[in-house]
Amino acid sequence: MIFDVIQRSLKAPNRLVTVDELLGRAEGSRMPEVNPALLTEEIARQACNVCPTAAFAPAKPQEKELLALDYGKCIGCGRCFEFAAFSPAERLTNCGASKAGLVRYFDFEHAAEVQIRPDAQEARREIFSLVGRALNIRQLDAGSCNGCEAEIAALTNPYYDLERFGIHFVASPKHADMLLVTGPVTRNMAIAVKKTYEATPAPKLVVAVGACGCSGGIFASSYAVAGPLEKLVPVDAYIPGCPPTPAMLLTGILEVLRRTARLKQSS
Amino acid sequence: MSSLPQERVEAPGAAEATRLLQAGSRLVSVFGAVEGDGTKVRYVVDVPGPGYRVLEQAVRGPLQSLTPIAPAAAWYERELQDQFAVKLTGHPDPRRLLLHDNWPREVHPMAAAVEPVPWADEPYQFLHVEGEGVCEVAVGPVHAGIIEPGHFRFSVMGDNVLYLELRHFYAHKGTEKLFQGTPVAYGQMIAESVSGDNCFAHAVAYCQAVEQALGVTVPRQAQLVRLIGLEMERMIAHIGDVGALSNDVAFVLPAAYCSRVKEDLMKASARAMNTRFWKGIAVPGGVTRAPAAEMLKRAVKQAADEFAKMANIILDRPSVQGRFEGAGVLRRTVAEDLAAVGPVARASGIITDVRHDHPYGAYRGLQLDVPSLGYGDVLARARVRIEEAAVSARLVFDALSQLAPGPIMAELPQAAAFEGFSAVESPRGELLYWVKGEAGKLSRCHIKSPSFQNWPALPHAVMGNVIADFPLINKSFNLSYSGCDR
Repeated sequence: MIFDVIQRSLKAPNRLVTVDELLGRAEGSRMPEVNPALLTEEIARQACNVCPTAAFAPAKPQEKELLALDYGKCIGCGRCFEFAAFSPAERLTNCGASKAGLVRYFDFEHAAEVQIRPDAQEARREIFSLVGRALNIRQLDAGSCNGCEAEIAALTNPYYDLERFGIHFVASPKHADMLLVTGPVTRNMAIAVKKTYEATPAPKLVVAVGACGCSGGIFASSYAVAGPLEKLVPVDAYIPGCPPTPAMLLTGILEVLRRTARLKQSS
Repeated sequence: MSSLPQERVEAPGAAEATRLLQAGSRLVSVFGAVEGDGTKVRYVVDVPGPGYRVLEQAVRGPLQSLTPIAPAAAWYERELQDQFAVKLTGHPDPRRLLLHDNWPREVHPMAAAVEPVPWADEPYQFLHVEGEGVCEVAVGPVHAGIIEPGHFRFSVMGDNVLYLELRHFYAHKGTEKLFQGTPVAYGQMIAESVSGDNCFAHAVAYCQAVEQALGVTVPRQAQLVRLIGLEMERMIAHIGDVGALSNDVAFVLPAAYCSRVKEDLMKASARAMNTRFWKGIAVPGGVTRAPAAEMLKRAVKQAADEFAKMANIILDRPSVQGRFEGAGVLRRTVAEDLAAVGPVARASGIITDVRHDHPYGAYRGLQLDVPSLGYGDVLARARVRIEEAAVSARLVFDALSQLAPGPIMAELPQAAAFEGFSAVESPRGELLYWVKGEAGKLSRCHIKSPSFQNWPALPHAVMGNVIADFPLINKSFNLSYSGCDR
């Protein structure tokens, strides 16, 4: 019987997706991509109006008023897709970014994206002297809807097979290099989140996952929410999405490792 | 569900609910709402024959608890106490439920505006089993896997579980209050965030409730798309669950196989609908897009075939049978007392399925098989899921064959005031939304989630088993923490 199973799996085509095919992909996440050429002041205003979580908002990072798109707040509702300037993103480059790296700015007068250097919020140095090739992750649910859990669990299926990168999910924060935290941090979970953080050995790499992890998402204003996460513990990187797809999660986790490696080289 | 009567009994709703429950009706939900200067409690019961009834009761003093005659009311009534400051007499376990130690006792979030709440340290009493050799094992809220938060307190004698107490609501997000003041056209976004892996069932239940309240008829094509989404969600859930059960008894190869089949269906959803979870598809009035039928047909057929073969391999294995059979038995009488729903109820011999009992949308007029088994053990719950996945595949296939070009959205009328409810069969069982509002905005939305209903049944299936079987039994229920805690 068991041989049937083995035979069946050996016969199956090799479906493991190469990392190059996954990195930066965002299909099925419903995160918006912006075509700045189609952007007008009126469309920018309407995008701000229809967005339920103020992911689209007017901003003035410099002297000029711009349209800001904060992926950390976006729940992928798709309301903005009714305007031609916005479409579902196929690629997303800011998974695993710093908080400032989640935000893009658009100049609706000149129909162009504006590059604003994110604050030099680089990853902390001490992390990287420790993280080499293997990475132990402790997933911590701080009151999520379980959408993020479903996608994180999917990382271990044969398509993504996270273990091939030397990345493992471990059962205790005491074994973890990284805390992968989902959910808006409910009041009822606040103490458990702090205790889990305290139980994690230094350097405690903390990654906030999903719209809830990044900003509180749709629950940001609830009476029962004590978060977002950054209010309770220091956060090193963010992975947006509601929920982030396995490709986005993988991109984010590997991006954190890449930043680490860069830091290590430069030190 | 516009065809169902929604009868109002002006005076004592609680008395009428008591009478119906004593006469064999099933308790569906109990919830409160602040209306005008007072609080109203509504009892939803499923009366054999006529169907759902909503009974209203104004709160003018302490309410007589229904729990002694209908144990299924226990958590609902504790929630009423926490949220609405409703006082109950005769409740056998009046401890707080949703609000943990950090909430001051005088705070009742749904009864009044919540100002910044100071952090309190209110003691919570677990029930203790005493005697020589009895140990307590505390598990959670942070668990050892990629799982949601919740606390399990076992009292064990050696390996044997004498008593299990659940302490949940770590994921309580105040979701029902978030609906208040939300425009009707945005409510499904909150509904989609109640239980992520069942998000389409939540969105559809919400939309149907709004449509029922506003008297909207959804176009046939939109109803078909909803059925396709609901049944694909059920397939994805059941395939994942059966694989996870196999994993929990260390038969990991089929587990990996099932996770692959599940991922195939999610990828197919992403290709067909541009969303892995069918998010943003159901909106009040209809759906936002229809899938390409042929591609989905191929994906669903392949997934169903592969899963059926793999399920046979799992169930044929003696080491699997040895662990599944007789483990975690939920007796039918207990399941009935606690008004269990979904696959959990059906594996304990209760034939209940909203699609069959109260058909909605494209399920009207369908001849639906409701797989049911009497054993109530892990094996029965696994087999019910396997059979249901096959039924779902057939339903998706038939619906895809009926897809045709046509309208998928109906206009929503502006109503001065509206009130309505609707239930769907989510992968975990009966899911009911009740909405009320005026001028395009919601003033109250209540969610009866199948997990809230089924969690209290879990300890009854666990007690008497060895503690090492707990993960397996818990997985065979596969309840949502977030859906329960809201």
